[in-house]
Amino acid sequence: MPQGKVEPPSPQAGFGAALLNPDLPLPDGVIGPGGKAATKRFAVYRNNVTVSLINALADIFPAVQRLVGEGFFRDMARIYLAEEPPQSALMFEYGAGFAAFLERFKPVDKLPYLPDVARMERAWLDAYHASDAEPLRPESLGAISPENLGETIFTPHPATCIVQSRFAVVSIFSASREQRPLGNIRPLEPEDGLITRPSDAVQVRTLPSGASLFFEGLIAGATLSQAASITLEQHSGFDLPSAISAMLEAGLFSSCTPGQTVSEPVK
Amino acid sequence: MSQKTLIGASALAGAVAMAISGASFLASTDGASAATEKCYGVAMAGKNDCAAGPGTTCAGTSKVDFQGNAWKNVEAGTCVGMDVGEGRMGSLEPLDRDIPA
Repeated sequence: MPQGKVEPPSPQAGFGAALLNPDLPLPDGVIGPGGKAATKRFAVYRNNVTVSLINALADIFPAVQRLVGEGFFRDMARIYLAEEPPQSALMFEYGAGFAAFLERFKPVDKLPYLPDVARMERAWLDAYHASDAEPLRPESLGAISPENLGETIFTPHPATCIVQSRFAVVSIFSASREQRPLGNIRPLEPEDGLITRPSDAVQVRTLPSGASLFFEGLIAGATLSQAASITLEQHSGFDLPSAISAMLEAGLFSSCTPGQTVSEPVK
Repeated sequence: MSQKTLIGASALAGAVAMAISGASFLASTDGASAATEKCYGVAMAGKNDCAAGPGTTCAGTSKVDFQGNAWKNVEAGTCVGMDVGEGRMGSLEPLDRDIPA
């Protein structure tokens, strides 16, 4: 959802390319006070840009940095930013492709959970910057008559994101961010993370079995009855009341639309 | 609709009722937004909060103590009662005082 995407005219594009690639020549028109080519000055600027972008990635992905170590992270970030410079003028939107980069970056393939940790961190910051919206009030859902409940659909809150993982991504993310020991985490136990922001503070939860399927269904526009049925079909132990409780508590949705009593053929 | 329905209307209504009666979250839904408020003019230099968050350079950028246009999250209801000395109080709106040159 980049909002600050810029389309620079071509002299700017040339300038930008030379900034991130030291092998390219000094851009035209970059001169010192005496009219001579400002090679050293441009090198200083080039360095500042690169260091700033590495710092931004370190701020956006602190858990990834802790998992690989600061020195490694900074070297890796330098490679990433050459491959994928910011597409948005808003620095806090940088790194949307960082998780995908980690998937293909060979030196970290011993840490298979790393891309999902990066997804959690990116989702955390997206949630932080998402539009403010009041979460769905429990009374609004409670006020819907039983015959209209099944066809009720939900509008996702702008901050809501689910990260499904084959790894213990929430435990690793939380322990890394809170500087807690990682030794007692079993990374191969799958966890699905739920990220929401019901007020000013981002909240992170681990979803119980089946809940992510249920919530993803509702987010995609399925009715309450459809989402519940599909989930119960695949997870016989799915606890529907707890899931509804959790979705209200976490603020997954901002509103809901009751089904119509008059039964019309759907599709 | 050809979708096989494993859960009837009454069961669904029961689940929703049970979910809503769960007392665990009732406090937090109403309380969440009211738990803190943005309070201007009370943060020490460099200790202000910022809605922009990491990856930006806003949080921790206030230059002077109690800078009037920098805010900090404080417990709801406590802001306007905060006295930072010399008659200066916290405010829910940005202030003109203590702005660095």
